[in-house]
Amino acid sequence: MKMFAMITAILVAGEWLFMSMPVAQSDVFHLSKTAQAQESWRREFEDICSKTQDAMGFSTEELRGLVVRCDALKPLIEKLDEPQRKVTLRRLQMCRDIYAFVLETKENK
Amino acid sequence: MRPLVRWAVMSCFILAFAGDVNGRSVPISHEYGRVIIRNFSDQAGMAPVWFDHWLHRARYTCRLCHVDIGFAMEANATKIKADTNTKGFYCGACHNGTRVYGRKEIFPSCSLSSTPEESARCNRCHSVGKNVQKEYDYASFTEKLPKQNLSDLVDWEAAEATGLIRPIDFLPGVSIQRPPLNVQKDFSIASKGFWMPDIIFSHKKHALWNGCELCHPDIFPSVKKGTAKYSMLEISSEQYCGLCHDHVAFPLTDCQKCHSKPVRR
Repeated sequence: MKMFAMITAILVAGEWLFMSMPVAQSDVFHLSKTAQAQESWRREFEDICSKTQDAMGFSTEELRGLVVRCDALKPLIEKLDEPQRKVTLRRLQMCRDIYAFVLETKENK
Repeated sequence: MRPLVRWAVMSCFILAFAGDVNGRSVPISHEYGRVIIRNFSDQAGMAPVWFDHWLHRARYTCRLCHVDIGFAMEANATKIKADTNTKGFYCGACHNGTRVYGRKEIFPSCSLSSTPEESARCNRCHSVGKNVQKEYDYASFTEKLPKQNLSDLVDWEAAEATGLIRPIDFLPGVSIQRPPLNVQKDFSIASKGFWMPDIIFSHKKHALWNGCELCHPDIFPSVKKGTAKYSMLEISSEQYCGLCHDHVAFPLTDCQKCHSKPVRR
């Protein structure tokens, strides 16, 4: 019983300490938000750029959609730190260019 | 009779220009594709980097380095810094001390500390003008690899076809998982000179190593038949095919590797 009371007291004290540190808490929150944002741009980037070699098989509508997605993702990539920003922006640009290129080729057929 | 004349003129042309195309000599095999990188070395008090393209292309596809990792297709255009390497980008994507090739650990690239041990490691790449014993030398590395016509340059296509090299196309944590490539059809390009056979362009050979986005639209901005009129003058000025051929891929002196369409009799 004594042991149970002690564990409870430690947990309560720990929680109190955690709640009473607003800066630390906001940091944790910020870090998890950053990780989420990081995860989300990467997922979108990989989804867009994994399709480049199928570009010739896409319809013009699909290609237009991919170009739009590239353009929407660009501002998020621009916010990344260097050198991640430089490397990823170049890769994204290559993906956009191939989709735009195939789209143009198909439209001019 | 006409095909015979064509081949005779072509042979004379090859013989006449075999030693020199547009002022270029037949390349020296171990120097072929070498890149000297010196964007920031001088400022940092380091020797420029000596990069052997042949060693890397034997192990990795063009796409892996020039698309996935992001190296530019032009020497010194990437602007690589020690700092970017240590963060795991460019050279540091593989040279990070943890990746392995085969069973061998790939040595780590730049270090921001300057112990004597670290400086010996720097010299492995920052070796221009230094007497550094390289781990791989061209002659022994390529000894068993098939060679191009009349030269000591490696025939990379034959080397891969015979299983002597197996370039890696996926780098965990860097490359994106892609479905298998749907290769576009080969096509022919009419030759401008009557004495030259037409060109057969193999999409398969190129796309397997390069993917699509390495060539289109930057190097080849049009795929509509007849839109672009490639000339040997432009190609030998490092445009179109000339961006790779005559630098890292087989040289322009090897005419018949492209001008390969059988002549109709």
